[in-house]
Amino acid sequence: MSLAPLPAQADLVIIGAGVMGLSIAYQLAKRGAQDVVVIDRGYLAEGASGRNGGGIRQQWATEMNIRLMQRSVELCRGFATELGVNVWFRQGGYLFVTRTARDQARLERSVELQHRCGVTGTQLITPQAAAEIVPELAYKSLVGASYNPDDGIVFPWPFLWGYARRAAELGVQLHTHTPVVDLERAERGFVVVTPRGRVAARRVVCAAGSWTPSIAAMVGVDVPTFPIRHEICSSEPLKPFLKPMLAELNSGLYCSQSMRGEIVGGVTIPGHGSSHSMASSREFLATYARRLTRLMPILGDIKILRAWAGPYDGSPDGNPILDHPPELPDFFLACGFVGHGFMMAPVVGELYGEYLTGGAKHELFEQASIMRFRGGPSAYAKEDFNLG
Amino acid sequence: MPRRLPCPDELRGDPVEISLGDATIRAFTGESVAAALFAGGYATLSRSLKYHRPRSFFCLDGHCGGCLTRIGGVPNLRACQLRCAPGTAVHGQNAYPSPDLDVLGAVDLLFPKGMDHHSLMTGNKLMNAVANRVVRQLSGVGRLPDAIAPAAEPAELLTVDVAVIGGGPAGLAAATTAARAGARVLLLDEQAALGGSLRVDPRFGVAVADRAVAEARAAGAELRAGWTAVGCFPDDNVVVATSANALARVEAAAWVWAAGGYSVNLPVPDNDRPGVFAARAVGRLLCEHAIVAGDRICVIEDDGPRDYADALIAALTQAGALVERVAAHEVTAVRGRGWVRAVVAGKRRIDCDAIAVAAIPAPASEGPRQHGCAVTLDAAAGGFAVQTDHEGATGVAGVFACGDVCGYRGPVAAAGMGERAGAKAAAHAAIHAAIQAAIQARAR
Amino acid sequence: MAKIILCRCEDVTLHDVEHAVAKGYDHLEEVKRYTGFGTGPCQGKECLAPVALALARLTKAAPSTIAPFTARPPIEPTPFRLLASDPAAYRFDDEEPLEPDPSGGP
Repeated sequence: MSLAPLPAQADLVIIGAGVMGLSIAYQLAKRGAQDVVVIDRGYLAEGASGRNGGGIRQQWATEMNIRLMQRSVELCRGFATELGVNVWFRQGGYLFVTRTARDQARLERSVELQHRCGVTGTQLITPQAAAEIVPELAYKSLVGASYNPDDGIVFPWPFLWGYARRAAELGVQLHTHTPVVDLERAERGFVVVTPRGRVAARRVVCAAGSWTPSIAAMVGVDVPTFPIRHEICSSEPLKPFLKPMLAELNSGLYCSQSMRGEIVGGVTIPGHGSSHSMASSREFLATYARRLTRLMPILGDIKILRAWAGPYDGSPDGNPILDHPPELPDFFLACGFVGHGFMMAPVVGELYGEYLTGGAKHELFEQASIMRFRGGPSAYAKEDFNLG
Repeated sequence: MPRRLPCPDELRGDPVEISLGDATIRAFTGESVAAALFAGGYATLSRSLKYHRPRSFFCLDGHCGGCLTRIGGVPNLRACQLRCAPGTAVHGQNAYPSPDLDVLGAVDLLFPKGMDHHSLMTGNKLMNAVANRVVRQLSGVGRLPDAIAPAAEPAELLTVDVAVIGGGPAGLAAATTAARAGARVLLLDEQAALGGSLRVDPRFGVAVADRAVAEARAAGAELRAGWTAVGCFPDDNVVVATSANALARVEAAAWVWAAGGYSVNLPVPDNDRPGVFAARAVGRLLCEHAIVAGDRICVIEDDGPRDYADALIAALTQAGALVERVAAHEVTAVRGRGWVRAVVAGKRRIDCDAIAVAAIPAPASEGPRQHGCAVTLDAAAGGFAVQTDHEGATGVAGVFACGDVCGYRGPVAAAGMGERAGAKAAAHAAIHAAIQAAIQARAR
Repeated sequence: MAKIILCRCEDVTLHDVEHAVAKGYDHLEEVKRYTGFGTGPCQGKECLAPVALALARLTKAAPSTIAPFTARPPIEPTPFRLLASDPAAYRFDDEEPLEPDPSGGP
């Protein structure tokens, strides 16, 4: 895949072969787009797409995000048969729990908003009821909970294999191990400069996740996103017992049981820093272990097998930056998805697929425009229902 | 058939009874649960993850996944790392109704070449949904523990001049040398008894190991067995280590990684059959437990050093076993599904009831890699070996490595390198202490 | 046709590794993700070296050009309750007194 020569020209170059870039590539190719090239500096699944916990939920705090995720859940359901690879989508639900009145109030506001947007599957429930869904839960120290049975989890890597393979079958070229070292403005579009050669591209989609600012800077665009170091870990594989993804507000702890039986989860360490460091810390291991064993004490004797890390693509208002900046009509952004980039990639790929092949331009693109950080109006409400 | 040989009482310990499921098994307190089960005739403890092939011990070193069982109501414990106590209760895992007779073993036969689970049942939405559900039910290996565990003991902070990780010939030599040079030394080893590869080697054995340990102690080093280094956090200059019931943070001015090597298998057909052991596992059974692994033992070896294999074969023969050896590249089959029966090498058939795989151990380089040390893949070294100079200096200031973790060299050369690394580490720590003292003096 | 098991924890065969390489996943990290080798209880202790050497052979690469996958804590599987006792844990503002809540059952 990575050893074929780079083409001298392309109609559209996508920088970043993570789930966002590959989803866009697939949706473009599906609609007949030709001469699409995807470039990535590393191996497939090296970035955030290969490091996340695979959560797919509709429980959010903004109307736009709720609506988008409803469509993504639908797309995930059909993914295995459409893309020919198992993603092990399991709709065991998402169970949010709270420990303080303040967090319970946040939860109730979110549930109310979800109901207004038509997500009636989400219900507020008591701690006792939560313990009926997760019998291992130490529910007496909880204030409240919410549950939506349709939310689920996936195994992330196959999304990349599936999108890449189908896109390649439809004529998309994928070049991994190919970093973009420069982007030059040309008469028509850009020249993408890599150590393996130059590609003249009429249009560029920058789907480089938390590496977007350095790419955008090459063409003079200042993108106000920032990497947030997040750690995650996996336990030994156990026989199935945990039905939903379990998430604790305030600590941002989340955990779920993967298809292989491992408990995969993480927790937000405040002040962990804005960096691309993917090192593992003592603080994370200790904090996660402590919070997890408080939630489910029976897990005390269960063992962690591996911890790793990946960058969340942070955005000032917790929402993505999409579409092109006004000064560069052929340079499109797809970044700032914080901790929900993976789950939004199926639907965002679809929307970009329509938009970039001359079809409808969804209202998301205007709401998510970079202009909202340049003094323009901000219609995209702040998203604070973040986990991990 | 495995046999217990006559041996001194202190080696074997006191007689006790343990259980596997409903069966009661005669055991001894000096034996690991794995050794006792094996000697008692119970060795197939689980089924493999995907194909449900019968699985048994391999390394007996605490590093492979072959002896994972449920012990005392806790899942996924390594039976080779726990000593027998009165009433130790063991249960097999991942097999229904039992590891010996598992209905899902048919999966292995249905997919002789293998199964790519990525594309399994993706042709049809309904079938895919069913497949997803079935796969989830079959996944996982252990069940949740029977009871909530008590909290750990309070965490310790151990601050020393030289921390040595690994208590085999290299580590013990490093600790002894550093302590004699005046450094405050802490040595950690994950095994229940110190001595590392010496304990499983017929040329040395438990007695030599115990002497090396005594020497290190006499020099003034603190030695802790049963402590595992689980993470190195170079930014904090901390190694986190755990024992059965506690966690400790270790801070040191100089570090010596002497973690040795892991036993690896050889790529021959059906190399995972119960009864296929690492050569050092057979050596451990013989030297540590006075158990001979079988009546007819086949040694499968690669092109690597023969010294250990030669010594093991001589000792096994002396213990009354019939031993034959064969080159790995000649092996065409390993017969015997529930337990090995024979090795086939072209036209040659070697009947056996145990196999010892003599491959070069793979350097246990995770700790040094976390510490920022460079490694290079080299077949002659056994795998990814830590790069050092002759005296064990890595590219990282204050971090040294010695012994097999730098590439397989055997116990004698490992000890020599350990002495040099220990001396260097002590010198580094002394300089560090002098600088700290000067800084503090200036501050006052 | 007998299986040559390279990763016993995850039942990954030599054929699986060859299959991954044939599909274009020829970087060690990609082989790991596609086959699952090294992701089980032993985290590659038994299989990292054999698979890496097999990969070198299959891709005709010099072994010295192949890097191992990232070494991550814990080096050995470690119980949550031991890690929870590390004082490095971040304390959130909703931390209750330190007695464990006994209401969570097995």
